[in-house]
Amino acid sequence: MKNPFESFHQVGGRKREIPLDKILQSKEETLSKILNGYEHLLKNEAKDLVWLMQYSTVIKAYSIAEKGLEGIEYTAEDIEEFCYALDRSDQIPYLITGPAGVYISALCNYAKEEEITLHLRDLNVKVNLTGYRLPPNKKLIVEGNVGDFTGIGLDGGELIIEGSGKNYTGAGMKRGKIIVRHNLGFNTGHGMTGGEIIVGGRIKGLGKIVGGKIFEREHLVFPNEGVKPFYF
Amino acid sequence: MDIEKTIQKVWPKVRRKHLFPQIPLPKVIEGGEEVALEIKSKQLLISNSFFEKLKDVMEGEEIVEAILDHGITHYMYCPWDFHTHLTLYNEAKKVVRKKDLAQRATTCFMDVVADTYCVKGKDTKIPNLYKNLHKTGIHEVLTSLYEKIWGVNLGSRGHDERINRLSRIPYLERKKWEESIKKFTKVIQDILEEELENEQESPQRRPNPLGEHSLDNYSLEEIDRGLREFASAVEDLQEFKETVEDLKEELEEQGYATGGMGRGRGNPIDANLLYYMKLAESYTLPIRKLPIEKMGDLHPHSHMPWEIGKPFADIDIWTSFGKIIPGITQIWKKREGETFGELEGTPDCLIIIDSSGSMINPRERLSYAVLGAACACNAYLKNESRVAIYNFSDALRGNKIILDFNHEKERIYQAICRYFGGGTALDLEDTQYLLSRADNPDIFIITDMQITNLEKLIEFFNQIQNRVTAVHLGHNVHSTRFKEGTEKRKNISLFNVKEKEDNPKIILGKIKEYLSSTSEWG
Repeated sequence: MKNPFESFHQVGGRKREIPLDKILQSKEETLSKILNGYEHLLKNEAKDLVWLMQYSTVIKAYSIAEKGLEGIEYTAEDIEEFCYALDRSDQIPYLITGPAGVYISALCNYAKEEEITLHLRDLNVKVNLTGYRLPPNKKLIVEGNVGDFTGIGLDGGELIIEGSGKNYTGAGMKRGKIIVRHNLGFNTGHGMTGGEIIVGGRIKGLGKIVGGKIFEREHLVFPNEGVKPFYF
Repeated sequence: MDIEKTIQKVWPKVRRKHLFPQIPLPKVIEGGEEVALEIKSKQLLISNSFFEKLKDVMEGEEIVEAILDHGITHYMYCPWDFHTHLTLYNEAKKVVRKKDLAQRATTCFMDVVADTYCVKGKDTKIPNLYKNLHKTGIHEVLTSLYEKIWGVNLGSRGHDERINRLSRIPYLERKKWEESIKKFTKVIQDILEEELENEQESPQRRPNPLGEHSLDNYSLEEIDRGLREFASAVEDLQEFKETVEDLKEELEEQGYATGGMGRGRGNPIDANLLYYMKLAESYTLPIRKLPIEKMGDLHPHSHMPWEIGKPFADIDIWTSFGKIIPGITQIWKKREGETFGELEGTPDCLIIIDSSGSMINPRERLSYAVLGAACACNAYLKNESRVAIYNFSDALRGNKIILDFNHEKERIYQAICRYFGGGTALDLEDTQYLLSRADNPDIFIITDMQITNLEKLIEFFNQIQNRVTAVHLGHNVHSTRFKEGTEKRKNISLFNVKEKEDNPKIILGKIKEYLSSTSEWG
């Protein structure tokens, strides 16, 4: 007996592969590799879901992050996807903003692009340590607000925050530029030795600053007569 | 070949390709050169001018086939229904905050989804069509995107960074559409803003060549169903309100009013009322009918053998073969009849709703009290009973609405949604007055029980015989007191509503004696 639906086989079932399929597949694979690197970092550095923000722990976490990223090819869009994946608890078992920030910084520092824009306005968490050790010839633009310790140890790069930051922004930075469109919190520029921090809004408080320049609403607030360099 | 003949030739093939969608034969309109397609309540209308213009560079059959593929895929895949359209619009609006921009972003997104679906799964001429359409502004960007994600040369260049971002969106994953349209809108937002700005300077607008997506695409029934689903899906009242306010003019033009569908212009749409109306339609509350009464008359029920001594009058001569012999002759066994008596069916209902300061303002956030009252109202109106409303806060100071028994849904909803704030006291004389206006009506009261004269209310309920469904929101000492005070009364049922999903658990007019011993109290 003839199958009455036979003539429909050609009509309904044919689905050809289009480049979109490959793009999405490659995106998923890259994201999965980046997530694996992050989980590796957490296993090493935050076993008990606790991570103490110290000079030595940041350096150690960064070196683990660097190793985790070896061999992964990614773009700025992948970094952005990772940030949003962090925000969704169903994809990542736990989000600890310190290691996450170190890892995102490593991702940015090792990205192929010289200029990276991260559209993070819709992110619910504020990532700490964004722009850590941003090297020369790198420009990182973050659309949205960031957390504490933004741009610490900045090493010649240009970090632009299209939003506000919190405390200890630019702490220990050596050279380069941090531009913040809105406001910053306490201890801004604590221990910085060089470079510039330019803030469009208000700064709640400056830290103990060794060198460099800080501008608040186009006025030089460090160095000036009221705030002298601090010698550790 | 002219367009009509081309459509007649191509239509069977296109229908078969899309597995015979239930849409009528497309029609031809004169239309403009710029826009190929209009869709009105499932009717595809193809512009003759557009067809004639494009015929110089493309085969007539290919043009018609591509346009029909596009139109049918909107019907078959994206947006599919009005609810999906509203949801996508709502998400786009969250990004751009402007109605015009959100509408354009939604149209673009739906076009990308529909066309990509078609290109991936069907043998279509859509790419050829795009190759020959104008490419400026957002359409240039979209054509570049198609080039990248379909892998065909459409003669468009540029926008690399933007296209990189757009090409990473999973357009064919329906579950991710809400997230996807947000990403999509963010990437194209600046182009749309620029276009809008330019149009404000010079009013000439380059329309979407494959047509805009407006409410014209949907029938009133689809709009009604879409709004109902949308009311259940949105996170809060404000979201619903914002979207409905945006589309208010179009809805009214379509003939849609707060009271629902209908011909002619109805009352202006009140988004708040509409929200509670649509949400309440998702919850059906059952009403227990009043118990049936024995009528006392006997009627023939079944046969039994006749015995000597039994009345001759009951003999059924037809089944007895005309003989009167014990064992052969059959008599009718009679039973007492049952009827609904005078109180047949569902009585009218008096809804008493508390709108004091301790209750949520229904025009700001989802009020469970209003939703509960709305569900009760729907349940009684559906049974063709009348509903009266007593909405009160400090009734003794005049903060009250007394609406007599009637069938007018919109008036009833207006009375339910009124919010007074302030203190909480019932004027029992008002209640007695309303009860006297109908024949033994049911009472549905919804409150947090923080009523100043609660004792008087308990006393009052203990005196009356009407069925009372009392719903309290949250637990407190007052609700416990009410429960204790009315515990012995079989005509009073008490329910607690903590969240909107608790509403369907309420059985209106439930009387305790009809329930099992494990009846749910409190």
